Amino acid sequence: MTSSASNVTIIGKSTRVRGRVHGPGDLEVQGFVDGEIAVTGDVTIALHGMVGAGVKGRRLVVRGAVKGDLVGDEAILLEDGARVVGDVRAPRVSIGVGALVRGFVETGEGGAAPARAARPQAAVRPAHTPERTHAPERTHTPERVPALAAKAAPAKVVAPPARAAATNSHASASSGPRRPPPPVVPVLKGAKGQIAKKRER
Amino acid sequence: MASTIIGAGITIEGEISTDEDIVVAGTVRGKLTAKEAVTIEHGATVEADVQGSSLIVGGALTGNVTASERVDLQSGSRVIGNVKAARVTIADGAQFKGNVDMDV
Repeated sequence: MTSSASNVTIIGKSTRVRGRVHGPGDLEVQGFVDGEIAVTGDVTIALHGMVGAGVKGRRLVVRGAVKGDLVGDEAILLEDGARVVGDVRAPRVSIGVGALVRGFVETGEGGAAPARAARPQAAVRPAHTPERTHAPERTHTPERVPALAAKAAPAKVVAPPARAAATNSHASASSGPRRPPPPVVPVLKGAKGQIAKKRER
Repeated sequence: MASTIIGAGITIEGEISTDEDIVVAGTVRGKLTAKEAVTIEHGATVEADVQGSSLIVGGALTGNVTASERVDLQSGSRVIGNVKAARVTIADGAQFKGNVDMDV
């Protein structure tokens, strides 16, 4: 009676799910899921499938619309027809011809499990040792992203270049723990004189 | 034959509404509304109010059931809730607790 040895969940074309989907096994979304997806297997979002929140899985193949972050433990493949608004993070990311992406794309070790891996761009607190060891690896990441973008030339990827620049500057000035930049306090001309006048009054 | 399959191990917490058949082998918590047949397989857990044209229950179901055609509770099933359908069968071995309303 069971469909197959592998555990496949299929959300059919006219099915709407409003809530979380999680558990072991593979998932194929042909309908509409308005909630977070967190499975341990492969996730396929078919051409007419729509997901309105984040998707977490091992291998994500997207051919439909996703409004949320895609986090893959192994790989993320965005194929023709994919429309993604959100971050794309996985060790291996493929953006095929015709796929549309708007968000932050991150590959490499920093891609998978962003909660565990350090994110020096976002970290404002003083860095402890694990972040410093990640710093030399991070310089390779921005080199990989332009290589992928060159391969899939017609794909429109809005990956913020400012972050790549920030990574490079961080790596070059990596002496000691990273501290937040000193606050810029504007010095007002004649302020001391004005304060003295107020006190006299 | 298009149908939605909720695989074993998968948990859906929320509402599911579908225009086609649905087979539940995993866990559903919330509400399940289908326009066609609903099958709850052995080993599945459904804690939801279920609506469908016909309903075959082989697993655990906690919630009210409304079917436009028929409801079949198979042997090994465990249903706690009210059942409202035109035709109802409760097989030997099924566990059931609730009202049965057959639109009499």
